[in-house]
Order: sequence, then structure tokens, then C-alpha cells
Amino acid sequence: MLLRAEPPANGGFMVAAYALVAVVLVVYAVTLFVRARSLVGEVKE
Amino acid sequence: MTSSSSLSASSSFPQSSTSSAVVAARKSIRLGQALTVLALVALAAHYVRAIQYTPIEATQGLAQKIFYVHVPAAWSAFLAFGILGVCSALFLWLHDRRLDLFAEASAEVGTVLTLIVLTTGPLWGKPIWGTWWQWEVRLTSTLFLFFLMVGYLTLRRSIFDPLERARYSAVVGILGAMLVPFIHLSVYMFRTIHPKPVILNPEGPTLPGSMLSTLLEGVAIMTVMYLGLVLVRYGIGRLQDEKEARHAAQG
Repeated sequence: MLLRAEPPANGGFMVAAYALVAVVLVVYAVTLFVRARSLVGEVKE
Repeated sequence: MTSSSSLSASSSFPQSSTSSAVVAARKSIRLGQALTVLALVALAAHYVRAIQYTPIEATQGLAQKIFYVHVPAAWSAFLAFGILGVCSALFLWLHDRRLDLFAEASAEVGTVLTLIVLTTGPLWGKPIWGTWWQWEVRLTSTLFLFFLMVGYLTLRRSIFDPLERARYSAVVGILGAMLVPFIHLSVYMFRTIHPKPVILNPEGPTLPGSMLSTLLEGVAIMTVMYLGLVLVRYGIGRLQDEKEARHAAQG
């Protein structure tokens, strides 16, 4: 791959992709954490 | 799964209704939560490195940096489905309930990661290819794998008997995992617009060092992310199992 001073201006796509990845992972992780917390409370040792 | 609570205990599936199962589930959840939080923090740092400290590719511009999340997500999704296949095969051999639960956890996390792959791909494709989607073999087979895994998860919620559910799911899980090498090799087997692998190819890595190290960092982070999420999801599955067994025992 070559490097040059003025690459095409398409940073919006990168920002959208990075934001999408973060949102999907955080929402899924929080969903799992809430489910886990609820079940830990319900099922005692 | 919750709707099958009374049926699960009446089946022939051996249930481990012990406090040690609860302790193991809680340990799995705690470790998984720690790894997930660690991976999310590392992902934020990875974004900074990719944006600020990794060179901009000459022809593709900033959109090429989608590569640093798209490829790691694809790697971890394929890892998830590989583990799904191994756990499913081992379940059919050993009939250990924990293997079935881990397979389910891996399939669910893998499906979420595939969703990331299928959405970040078009965001990269639009500025580079000029189109959001191409019905070529790599994209289409990945979409097919995603639908197959949604089918797997739907199947699990449609069969009430746990032993039957585990057996049928294991077969579908193995079939899903068998698609992974085909998807990886599809860019060599067919004429396709999708780029060829930049690390796992016969000539070795074909990236400049700075880009390669950022990519490998992303792969490591998404691997930890997968491990964290799958451990939490596995712990949930075991606790759910225990809850159903106790509910059934109480009549």
C-alpha cells in the first residue's frame, strides 16, 4: 500500500463504522450483564 | 428457553442441580465481565491508535481504517463459530451439557460479531467500491452464515426437550462451522471484488509494519472481547439451567 499527502476525504464512513461497533458491543455487553445480575439474584447457591 | 422450564426437568437430559454449578457459573460471569470491560477500554485506545497514530492509506483514505475493526470482528466471529463446531462435535460424542451451553454462548456472540462484520463491510465498500453491497461469494456466504446462525438460535428456542434441542443444535452448529473455511478460501476459489487476506495468505503478511501492528492489536482486543462475552453468556446459560431444574424439582 502507498502513502500520499492528500488521500480522499471519506472519514465519515470510518466514524460511522467505529461508532456502530462501539454501540453494538456496549449494548450487547450491558444486556448480558443485566441478565447475569438478575439470574445471580434469583439462583442462590 | 424460559418457556421450557417444566419440560426440561422431565426430559432424559442429565441436569447438574448442585451449588457447585452455581459457583462455577458465577465465576464464569465475573471473569467474563472483567474481560469484557477490559476489552471495551482497550477498544477505545485502539480507536485512538488507529485514527491518530496509524498512517492513512494513499488510495482509500480514512475509510480504509474501518479495516482495523472489520477484520478483527471477522476473525473473532470465525473463532466463535469454530469453537461452536468443536463444542457441538464434542457434545455429540460426550453428551456433556456444558458443551451444549458453551456452543450456544459461542453461537450467540459469534452472531453479534457477524452483524458487526456485515455492517462495517458496506460502510467500507461504499466509498471504495462505490456500492454498499455486491452479491459476490465472500459477502453472500457471510450473510448466509449469519442467517444460518440466526436459525440455530431460533431452533434452540423452538425445541422444548433439552436433549433433542442439544442434538439438533449440535448438527446445525457443525454445519455452520464448516462454512468458515469456505468463506476464508472463497476469495481464492472464485473471482471476487473482496480483498484477499492480508495476514493469513500463502505469501505471509502484506501490510506495512505500522498498519500490521494496529491490525494485530485489534485482533487481540476482539479475541479478548469474544472470550469475555462468551464467558458471561455461558454463565447465564448455566444459571438458567439451574433455575429451570430447581423450578421443575419444586413441581
